[in-house]
Amino acid sequence: MIVGSQKPIDEIWNMVKDKDKKKVLVFGCNTCVAICHAGGEKEAETIASLLRMKASQEGKQMEVSHMGVMRHCEPEYFDNVIEDVKKYDMVVSTACGVGVNFLSDRTGTVPVVPGINTSFYGAVEAPGVFKELCAGCGDCILHLTGGICPIARCAKTLMNGPCGGTNKGKCEVSNEIDCAWYLIVERMTKLGQLDKLGTVLPPRNWATSRDGGPRRISLEHIREFEEKEEAKAGK
Amino acid sequence: MAAQDTCDLTQPYRPYGAEIKETRPYSPCRAACPAHTDVQAYVGLIAQGRYTEAFEVITAPNPIASVCSMICHHPCERSCRRCGIDEAVAVRPLKRFAIEQAKEYRRNKRKLVAQNKGKSVGIIGSGPSGLTAARDMADLGYSVTLYERHPVLGGMLSTAIPPYRLPREVLKEDIDDVVSRGIEVKTGFEVGKDAKLDDLAKKHDAILLAIGLSLSRSLNIPGVDGPNVLLAIPFLEDVAFGRDPKLGKKVLVIGGGNVAMDVARSARRLGVEKVEMVCLENEQEIPAWKWEVDEAVEEAVKINYRWGPKAVKRDGDKVLGLEVTKVLSVFDGNKRFAPTFDNNVTTLLEADTIIITIGQMANLAPLKDSSVKADERGRVEWDQKTQKSSAKNVFVAGEVVTGPGSAIAAVASGHRAALAMHLFLQGETIEGKLPVQEKDSINEMPKDVLEKICKMPRQKVHHVEPAVRVKTMDNFEKTYTEKEALAEASRCRGCGGGAVVDPNKCMACLTCLRVCPYGAPVVKAWSEIRPDYCQACGLCAPECPAQAISMVSYDVKEIRGSMTTTVGCVDSKRTEPLIVAFVCTNRLGVHGADLPKNYRPFPVHCTSRVDVLDMLRAFETGADGVAVVRCGDRNCKYEKIEPRVQARVKRGQELIKTLGMEPDRIGILPAASSCGEFSELVKKMGLRVK
Repeated sequence: MIVGSQKPIDEIWNMVKDKDKKKVLVFGCNTCVAICHAGGEKEAETIASLLRMKASQEGKQMEVSHMGVMRHCEPEYFDNVIEDVKKYDMVVSTACGVGVNFLSDRTGTVPVVPGINTSFYGAVEAPGVFKELCAGCGDCILHLTGGICPIARCAKTLMNGPCGGTNKGKCEVSNEIDCAWYLIVERMTKLGQLDKLGTVLPPRNWATSRDGGPRRISLEHIREFEEKEEAKAGK
Repeated sequence: MAAQDTCDLTQPYRPYGAEIKETRPYSPCRAACPAHTDVQAYVGLIAQGRYTEAFEVITAPNPIASVCSMICHHPCERSCRRCGIDEAVAVRPLKRFAIEQAKEYRRNKRKLVAQNKGKSVGIIGSGPSGLTAARDMADLGYSVTLYERHPVLGGMLSTAIPPYRLPREVLKEDIDDVVSRGIEVKTGFEVGKDAKLDDLAKKHDAILLAIGLSLSRSLNIPGVDGPNVLLAIPFLEDVAFGRDPKLGKKVLVIGGGNVAMDVARSARRLGVEKVEMVCLENEQEIPAWKWEVDEAVEEAVKINYRWGPKAVKRDGDKVLGLEVTKVLSVFDGNKRFAPTFDNNVTTLLEADTIIITIGQMANLAPLKDSSVKADERGRVEWDQKTQKSSAKNVFVAGEVVTGPGSAIAAVASGHRAALAMHLFLQGETIEGKLPVQEKDSINEMPKDVLEKICKMPRQKVHHVEPAVRVKTMDNFEKTYTEKEALAEASRCRGCGGGAVVDPNKCMACLTCLRVCPYGAPVVKAWSEIRPDYCQACGLCAPECPAQAISMVSYDVKEIRGSMTTTVGCVDSKRTEPLIVAFVCTNRLGVHGADLPKNYRPFPVHCTSRVDVLDMLRAFETGADGVAVVRCGDRNCKYEKIEPRVQARVKRGQELIKTLGMEPDRIGILPAASSCGEFSELVKKMGLRVK
């Protein structure tokens, strides 16, 4: 899932405090960012409440409401609410960056601003603890590294063993970060595949990752049908 | 009443989650009540000091709620899941307390109901089922005439239940509620004599026969006819109307049912020192309620178990006693009543007055020369599916067709008959539209949950000393004090009133599963919170990041709504800080006390339901400080509450800090045993006006 964390209220306030922004909607997304307690409907209401208090402190007339839908990254979820959303002067989306982008395309002249910082792809390590485990590089090699990703979990994204900064299983960046290569070696030993690590991995082609520009995947088997349907409907 | 200050009493009672409630299994107490009174809802409201709202819940399905608060056999208590922990919640005494608290409210509420249906209904008999149907039909807009052969309304409630159990002024409140709707009352009206039933059926568009079982059965044994052998109902009527019945020095009551108890205990109150009872059954089999037996014994009534009446021994008009024979068994292998006797063992129970209390039957005089048929056993013919008699527009309800039962069962029957008449008068078919009596109930408390629940002793209901109470016909039970009532109400586990997940919002994130101390949630495609396990603490709902969880018995957002009207109108020139206090209702002493005006207590079922958003809302609406008042671990009826509440308070503190407010404007206070102590605790928070 996508993990994010709430922006400080002052930062959000600075985005919404314009004179002409009288009606503000804090719009939550009830999937990934809800799971990490950053931007679900509940947190949207919390931010709305704080904004109302802030407005009152600053003596500004502002109507702040909140709302939530299941996901901000599939268009159908907006169907029932988008006309209501457009009635606001501004939307604070507490979805991940994907959601903010996606919603911005659909609100016409109403600006959408982010209520949270989108951080990483991660998992719930323990209640309240979220950990980055994947970087979305577009060319997965987890089968070569015992299921532990050196791209996401090594500070230097090293591909062939740890750097000199590895220290008793920890990373030199912080004592709280495990050294990914230490974990990989341990794991491969356990799996009886340590010999595999003797093969030097060639330099990666980062074109599948961010270096190739914004990525888009279009599935032929779905698009072919959909396009025909769209053509029939005259879209 | 401080708690009431915080509630908007102009708003009618709104059963929270009503739309989901009907689709879920009932709490066992509600399922057990023949009228399906929402017991846990009103007990919960009492616990929060919201007595008038509790009154609304109590009276919604029950027009004789005051009566039931005194005499109901309370099947709700027998089915209470607390029985598996310690003792049932004292539902009936709580009902009595709430109704007394709402006395003025109910009187002010009475008003005429517009009779806009253009059709009239005649109801014969004004006992529980007649009164219920009268209220329902009046509320539906029919003009209703109530025919009663006695000079007073109420049926057996007025004429047979002794006043020491049911004070008449209590009954009058219920009757006034019903009659005030604009019902025409014809007392002293004997159908069959003053008017023929068929003529009434022509006069009205529909008739309800709710004539009960008003005749005593007698015994066919030698010596029974003659003076000094009385029948129960005439005797109880004499008691009810203050016509001092003539009794000797030693009274023997035949029978072991509840009416027999009424007779024996009334005899004691009429000054008879020696009152004995004789019944076929043993201590376990005796049909009277256990508390009736216990109280009768306290009042020095002697019960002779397992003897069957054989002959009344008399010397002319004088009764010498009752010859009885030993009972071997009362029921056969199929639990059917089939007593067997050992005729070799007999004895004489000495008595100069004998009162026969072995059951009742219908008085079918109103049916004379009418098209309503009765069978050879003296029962009115009827169709259970439509509540209809053999006549086209004559309906039946209550004991005359259901057989002997409780007052509240007659209420349920009255509702059914009223609905049947309404459908009939609207030209609709009745069959299949009357409610099913049996309702799905949640199951017994799972063993692993049971083990986690702490014991809380039931509040004692105080009685007047037996030696004193038998001297008058006055009611001998004392109403709970407010403190007792609040303590008792807080014992309720809120079964069936717990968490419900909206599958359209839940994304199966497992938060509730991690939070719940009772293992209630099961998460598959979405979370399902098992009602048998859920203890309705409310811990999960404020934690749900998608706001997908609501509570059946209370809305977690309700406080936020009511704050707008109560805290929002705060004086901007105040000198004292305005404190919003979320107070756990569990055995706290801050209810009903004269809290200073600047304290706004919001009683909560448990502080675990207090959301960070509630705290923020308090500040939004003008509060200077928020106190979360816990009951303390020792008293807490739930599990693992404290750390969660602490975490939420901390989060609230962090959030207000980001707005430049002092974090200690939110604090947790320990339980206070009095209003003064509570005030001191709040003062220690050292809050200023913002």
